[in-house]
Amino acid sequence: MKMSKQEIFFVKRFMTAMVLFLILIAVQTFSIELLELSTWQKVIVTLLPVLPLIWAFLIYRAKYRALDEYMKALTGEAFLWMIALLCFSSFIYGMLAMKFPMPPVELALVMPIVFGGHGLILQLLIWKDNG
Amino acid sequence: MDNRIKVLRAEQDWSQQTLAERIGVSRQAINAVERGKHDPSLQLAFDIASQFNQRIEDIFFPEKKSEPED
Repeated sequence: MKMSKQEIFFVKRFMTAMVLFLILIAVQTFSIELLELSTWQKVIVTLLPVLPLIWAFLIYRAKYRALDEYMKALTGEAFLWMIALLCFSSFIYGMLAMKFPMPPVELALVMPIVFGGHGLILQLLIWKDNG
Repeated sequence: MDNRIKVLRAEQDWSQQTLAERIGVSRQAINAVERGKHDPSLQLAFDIASQFNQRIEDIFFPEKKSEPED
């Protein structure tokens, strides 16, 4: 499928943010392992990868604002589905955790799961209407 | 909402992509409107109508509601 200039611009900027994220993850890992850092320096290095993610979010927000009304509606519905899934699953986990010993959940995984899940649900909604 | 977009497109020999590009929306949006999956905003309806040099009411028709039985 041929991408428009706007889509190419979005993909380039978004992928740049993702590459920057991976680089900062590597910087974070090696810095903490190899360098003698003070606590506040470790905090800063640990949180560095959040910056490209915020940038990626702003890029996506700009894309959302440029979408047509139909894609905006579907993107919003996909977001609603993802929030509902996240809320219900966390509530179910919390309820079970009150009564039973539960395996720990890595909170850092929540964001990629939400972003990835949102994209997947959006594709399903598009497929449902256009399939 | 029912509409005649598919017929009008065929008359012009336009694909959904062509119409979408002329209006500045996604192909999926045109497909969803055409199939009645998405009711277009007034602006989009005007944009579609103007592409075919027609009035909105000549392209879009409200769905007939069944009469309640007495």
